[in-house]
Amino acid sequence: MNCTESRKLIEAFTDGELDLVRHTELEEHVRTCDACAALSKSSVERRSAVVSSAKRFTAPESLRASVRETLLANGMKAAAVQARAPRIQPFLHYVGLAASVAIALGLGFGYGVSRTRSGIVANEAVANHLRSLQANHLMDVVSTDQHTVKPWFAGKLDFSPPVVDLADIGFPLVGGRLERIGGHPAAALVFRRKLHVINVYVWPQSDGSAAPSSARMNGFGVLGWSEAGLNFAAVSEIPEDDLKGFVSEMRRRTASATPNPSQ
Amino acid sequence: MEALEPPEPQSFEELMLPHMDSAYNIARWLLKDPHQADDAVQEAFLRALKAFARFRGTDGRAWLLTIVRNTCFSQMRANKRGSREEPFVDELHGAPDGTAMENAVAWTEVRSETLNKALERLPAEFREVIVLHELEGMSYRQIAAITDIPLGTVMSRLARARAKLEAGVALVAKEETLP
Repeated sequence: MNCTESRKLIEAFTDGELDLVRHTELEEHVRTCDACAALSKSSVERRSAVVSSAKRFTAPESLRASVRETLLANGMKAAAVQARAPRIQPFLHYVGLAASVAIALGLGFGYGVSRTRSGIVANEAVANHLRSLQANHLMDVVSTDQHTVKPWFAGKLDFSPPVVDLADIGFPLVGGRLERIGGHPAAALVFRRKLHVINVYVWPQSDGSAAPSSARMNGFGVLGWSEAGLNFAAVSEIPEDDLKGFVSEMRRRTASATPNPSQ
Repeated sequence: MEALEPPEPQSFEELMLPHMDSAYNIARWLLKDPHQADDAVQEAFLRALKAFARFRGTDGRAWLLTIVRNTCFSQMRANKRGSREEPFVDELHGAPDGTAMENAVAWTEVRSETLNKALERLPAEFREVIVLHELEGMSYRQIAAITDIPLGTVMSRLARARAKLEAGVALVAKEETLP
């Protein structure tokens, strides 16, 4: 990729809107081109200034009440339980993106959310999870068959992620896609739990990266572990106990599916 | 994805009311007036309730914000009634990229008030994409759906909006140093 092409795409790049192929190309270009690296850095700084400094208005309680009243008067059925969902923090999205860009550029990362490496990975895993839900880019390969999903990754990744199905215990495999975690290509395996999505990220330990520490952020649970030279991170909004149950069953089946972990 | 334990089928209250803050934020930034924003949010929720039977998608927030922004733009047109109406032409508002490096703003030192003032001065179409993207965390694709413009236009409009915001921040900062 040359500078002319790079400049057209640099904002989409720092916005995390490029497909994986072009993202990787741009990442490589930015690594070797000081001018484009500077553009990328200022683009990240500008966005984080806007994200952190622009005022985000919240609805006053009086409006909240009067809207509800108007709606009820106009035929809205009152829900049995009045649930007010937590507002998704777009900030988290940017922390993840900024982290990956910062890592790619070899910059320091000082947002203060978590400065540990595994903490950044957890942030990034949650940000990827959120983006997969928001951008309608949940799956590159759609299949409930592990024997379709596993070969799909062959040739796209330099490792082979173990793929198991957990449909019998209520976590059907629905597909997979390519992602990046800590600057390394990763497999994302997509499972469902009723209406919820569980993303499991798998990437090799070879580059010295670690699995994330387990964490709960903005209502999303992250469970990380390492096995047979691979890092795993499961991310979902399902209750913590469900996620733990899912992970322990997945580990058990992965272990029995790969009798020789050194392969 | 919003509710932890969504009962099914989901009602209007469960799918739409949680996005009240997003709706209000867009309305405040577009209309720049708390009372008008209140009215627009009220009206938008009422319109959304009436149209709810037609909601088929999974992205309730994007669906609701489409109605909110359309309500706000109608209100802005009504405010300006009498003055000639002109369609928004992105190209009349500067190049999408280029000049940014020459008088680059030191973003890490920009004050909130400066930034908010500069954002407020942007044309509504530019303000809108910045608020949707940076404050509401919407993807290009979602913004294209909400504003009903092509994906490529979202990209270039956002680029122009950011360049213009950068110039605006520099200008406001300069004004602030004047006595």
